[in-house]
Amino acid sequence: MKSLQVVNLKRYTLLRRIVLVLVLVLFLFQFLRIKLLIGGLSGSLLISWIKLLDPFAFVEALIASKKFTIDSLWAVIPVLLIYFIFGRAFCGWVCPMDLFFNWINRLKTSPYLEISYKIPSHTGYIVVLFFLLISFISGIPVFTNYISHLTNFFRTLTALVFLTFNFPVDFSLLLYSLFFLLFLLFLEGLFPRLWCRVLCPVGKIYGLFNKISLLHLKFQDKDCLQCASCERVCYMGVKIAERVPQGHIRSQECIFCGNCVEACGGKANLIKFKLGV
Amino acid sequence: MIRRTFLKIAGLMGLSLLGFYHIESPRGFSLARKKEEFEPPLANIPIGGLIRPPGALPEREFRSKCISCGICVNICHAMKYNALAVVGFADFRNLGTPYVKDMRDFPCGLCMECPKHCPTGALQKVEKEKVTMGQALIDFSLCFGWNGDVCLSCSKACPLGAFVFDFYNSEWGNQPYINEKCVGCGLCVKYCPLGGSAVKVIKREIYQRVKPKYDQEFQRLLNMTMEERYLVVYNENLPKILSRGRIQEREYR
Repeated sequence: MKSLQVVNLKRYTLLRRIVLVLVLVLFLFQFLRIKLLIGGLSGSLLISWIKLLDPFAFVEALIASKKFTIDSLWAVIPVLLIYFIFGRAFCGWVCPMDLFFNWINRLKTSPYLEISYKIPSHTGYIVVLFFLLISFISGIPVFTNYISHLTNFFRTLTALVFLTFNFPVDFSLLLYSLFFLLFLLFLEGLFPRLWCRVLCPVGKIYGLFNKISLLHLKFQDKDCLQCASCERVCYMGVKIAERVPQGHIRSQECIFCGNCVEACGGKANLIKFKLGV
Repeated sequence: MIRRTFLKIAGLMGLSLLGFYHIESPRGFSLARKKEEFEPPLANIPIGGLIRPPGALPEREFRSKCISCGICVNICHAMKYNALAVVGFADFRNLGTPYVKDMRDFPCGLCMECPKHCPTGALQKVEKEKVTMGQALIDFSLCFGWNGDVCLSCSKACPLGAFVFDFYNSEWGNQPYINEKCVGCGLCVKYCPLGGSAVKVIKREIYQRVKPKYDQEFQRLLNMTMEERYLVVYNENLPKILSRGRIQEREYR
């Protein structure tokens, strides 16, 4: 248990990191030619049977090509089912950028912390529409190909592994992806969680599922102590205390990191995860 | 204090990884690409774009459907063909899309796994025989079979065999010719024993353009008299062939 105290991870955070590492290890198996999970997080293949496709990539490819293919629908349905159950849990539990952003956040370098959280997250839908418009005009799924952190992360990973085992690697693409990831980390250092809350269209689409997802946060029938410790630990900037009268949180920003559940657990013990209607 | 020790440990691990890295890959971090020793066969005919994986939609539609997820590249790696690579910065419009990089090293094995697993439908399921990746053309001035040797490595390597190859017998030997049923997988390109290969795969669209000229050259070669042919082979072709030599282990990555 001592090592846990050294790293100072909370219970849910530890669980989240375990899930993340597990998913990444499953993806790493593909380089050992074990076909458990192939591809990247924007599109992957589970046990060479179930195709998985990111809903935003699906919409973008549909709009860019202006032509519907039944293959992509079969690929997107399993993902939609997962998000119907878990909502935006992907962002907190599987997305590798969450881990890197947390490291950057811990350094506390940001001079614009307040400003970053004052930008309303709904402006992100303008970004979504902007990318869809560009895709429509250019006929290229622009976000998923050039900008997506998931595509760039897995490109970098693949290129580094291929480089190690001396397979053909395009260095210009590796450098592009690497510098783009570094740029995202730099952005994170200036504006904490601006990417996650506002800019990332993938997360925006998943946020829509939070409204109908089975997994959500529920307040128990107790009195709130108004200590605001939940809002202090919430790095997605959800106004939790405001929602106590409603009895549940269905915020589009919530990524089910469990920080508020733990912060409340030591005090009023009000907030709980709930899987169900 | 803890952070400092952590950083130290991480740094040491990183350094040891670097060392391991240098042992593991003989080329190390060298960014310079190995220079090609010979000019490619049929130097006057361009490839005409990127050779896409089997079952790809027409170029424009393919670009609009491909989301650069990397399934096809990784599955090609998992099937041990390593044929597919991703387009780099040089072609920014096609950045991150898959293509067959150099068939002299890694040809497509026609395992048909990538079109089966493409999640967006940019690659459509097709039968092996109906793939249209490209068209392989033999450079008659470099081919062993057309210059008095007995080789036929290309037809032995071809996964479709007699379906694709026509043979022309004469006193010069058994001469291979690749007809239009070729799917463009490039196995013949790899297994051509000539240094730098005597076979080249070009895009279908370019093939339609250069076909009259190529066929004219082919017919001219067939209709040559023995004496003319003798002069061409011994004065022009054989010096070129001998200077290239036989090379099986290639490195054009």
